[in-house]
Amino acid sequence: MEKIAMIPVSKILPEKNQTSLLFIMTSAFWMAVATFIGLLAATELIAPDLTRGMGWLVFGRLRPMHVNLVLFGFVTPGLLGAAFYYLPRLLKTELFSERLGMLTAGLWNLMVAAGALTLSAGFSQGREYAEFIWPVDMLIVTAMGLVLYNFVMTVKNREEKTLYVSVWYANAAIVLTGLTFALGNVIWRPTSGALTGIPDAIILWFYGHNIFGLLLTPLAAGVAYYVIPRACRNPLYSHTLSLLGFWSLIIVYTHVGTHHLLQVPVPTWLKVIGIVDSVGMVIPVMAFLINIWYTAKGRLGEVHADVSAKFVFTGTIMYFFVSIQGSMMALPDVQRITHFNNWVVGHAHIGVLGFAGMIALGGIYYVLPKVLDRPLYSRFLADLQYWLVLIGVTGFTVVLTIVGLIQGTAWLNGETVYRVLPELHVYYVIRASLGVMIFTGALIGLYNVLRTLFFNTGEAAS
Amino acid sequence: MKMTPRVVLIGSVAILTTIVLIMIVTPYFTVDRTPSEIFRSRSEIEAAGRELYIANGCVYCHSQSIRTIDWGHGAERIAQAGDYVGDHPILLGSQRTGPDLSQEGGEHPDDWHLAHFMNPRFTRPLSIMPAFDYLGRKNIDLLITYKQSLGFKEADDRMTRQREWKEKLISAYESGPVENVAFLHAQVPEGWRNIPNPYPTSAAGLARGHKIYQDFCIGCHGPVGDGMGPAQPFLYPPPLNFTLLKDRGVTGGILYYQIMNGIAGSAMPYFKKELESEKIWDVGNFVAVYFINQSDANTPPRGIDAAYEPIVP
Repeated sequence: MEKIAMIPVSKILPEKNQTSLLFIMTSAFWMAVATFIGLLAATELIAPDLTRGMGWLVFGRLRPMHVNLVLFGFVTPGLLGAAFYYLPRLLKTELFSERLGMLTAGLWNLMVAAGALTLSAGFSQGREYAEFIWPVDMLIVTAMGLVLYNFVMTVKNREEKTLYVSVWYANAAIVLTGLTFALGNVIWRPTSGALTGIPDAIILWFYGHNIFGLLLTPLAAGVAYYVIPRACRNPLYSHTLSLLGFWSLIIVYTHVGTHHLLQVPVPTWLKVIGIVDSVGMVIPVMAFLINIWYTAKGRLGEVHADVSAKFVFTGTIMYFFVSIQGSMMALPDVQRITHFNNWVVGHAHIGVLGFAGMIALGGIYYVLPKVLDRPLYSRFLADLQYWLVLIGVTGFTVVLTIVGLIQGTAWLNGETVYRVLPELHVYYVIRASLGVMIFTGALIGLYNVLRTLFFNTGEAAS
Repeated sequence: MKMTPRVVLIGSVAILTTIVLIMIVTPYFTVDRTPSEIFRSRSEIEAAGRELYIANGCVYCHSQSIRTIDWGHGAERIAQAGDYVGDHPILLGSQRTGPDLSQEGGEHPDDWHLAHFMNPRFTRPLSIMPAFDYLGRKNIDLLITYKQSLGFKEADDRMTRQREWKEKLISAYESGPVENVAFLHAQVPEGWRNIPNPYPTSAAGLARGHKIYQDFCIGCHGPVGDGMGPAQPFLYPPPLNFTLLKDRGVTGGILYYQIMNGIAGSAMPYFKKELESEKIWDVGNFVAVYFINQSDANTPPRGIDAAYEPIVP
């Protein structure tokens, strides 16, 4: 049997980059938890009596647990872990306060755990993506505030006068999301966390879309703008496109939330703005993608050679697909078929897991070896995770799009929900099987991270 | 442009603020908050039931927003902004794994809902809804009260009808099987009562009827049609025992009408939104042949046979 020597703790958490490592561990751990819960929820759609009598695992509680753990437990901490690494480097200084960063990471984990437990216990605001109850909301706003303070003070202490693109995105993401989160969760009404009637729907979906548009997208863009030029050893293609992408993202994304409400009695002028800007989203998306892809042009070999860059680059491709799909399904005629069904679920998975999740994983694999000054425990395991997650999320998108089209077209032609349900069963089985792949990928990733952090890698496989 | 920290932060917040004022604040002050005609305030018990609905995530499978393009459950009334003026949070939903519940109140009596919450497959064999028996009877009653309020005044009207018919049905049931069957048949319009099943009994028809029975009926009426399905302990009056119907005036038309329209006040739902007419005849004949042991399939008056039917000598 292999003799495994533990690396002394003092070498694991060096004086610098402790915050980054803590967020990375947070992300790797909660990815495994979140995907397991997602797998369990998917299994319950096949075998609804599986968890009979276990109220804390009923589908209606698992679903928001899965969503919020993926958002706040896996993707956001992964992207923040990368940000806490690249911000000091791009600014040629040290993080303002590692101690504050570690406190923030601890608070973050407390928030995620408290959020998951309260949802499982049946405490919920009942609003999609905004289910956490008020105390957890306040923990999130506080954590966001602490992150922002650390970021801003680090920027203030910088020695590098140039403000690189990743720095814009990281800071903008946190300040905008802190505000948007507080607004969207209606934190000034602790008992309900909601407005009343149609205005509640408007503010909810303003927030619901912006959790993707103002948090995940800019943080993921920040990682991409940092990793891709370095992996390709090529300067960024265009500063002008960076500016266009950044400002148009903030302007356009914040308008489009109403495209979730096209079939609801919301003022028509709001819908018009939502539709027009949803199509206009092609501007920030393509500005970003052209910039990244042209930076990588002719250097895909370098991208492929670096597992972290491979994850990140794949994430940008996913961003293309999720954005095209999103703009298309914001059109009223398309949405007659795509609303209230699994097309939307497929869309959400490719956006959160395929785009932001992939880039978060890429950020983790980029930062970890550099902080620890030693290679990943296993490149093979990272590649294995890459393929499991890629096949899983692509499969999800295909299967859920099929299911969504079956549902949408059937309902439009007079079939009832109950009659269509049996037709979906086989697709739900496939979807759960793909979930096994993704959960396996999450476990492999967690193992790889832990082995890299805590165990001697001298005898690493392949 | 020169990107400085101040530009990035203040610019971002300024843009966000501007857009919030346009997209959030303006609608907040201009949206019409007039209650719709059917709206009424929720009672305390209904509100408590709604809290349970929220806590257990029912909104992830059930929407509460009927569109102009909807056909199915509850689609008699298109959603209006005034329906939601009392909702905080609003529960529009974004997935219909199950049917929309906008007009759920009064669709079924309380006992159907009780059986459904204990295990949805008792009343809906194909359902993938989880069982809510873990909530306990008291909480389930709160949830039922909330569900029966969906649709507000229209729900109240439907509930009045449910209660009135339930009283009559209980009275008939407790009078004994002869009187009960006579009462049930008397509620079917005379023209329907006198129609035999127009289709001949065939192996294919019986097989189809069998499938439909398993998908829709077995939870209440049981595998041998004696009304002792898993839902039976929760239902009163209990599901009809088909074996009692022999020689008591049952016709194909009576079975068809009751399957099509359901029996308001009892847990028997209408199936006309979910089963085309031939399917209703098929399952009716399946019940007649196997459980009642008396079928009037293809007997006079016959009319013109469907072109595909075999020629009777």
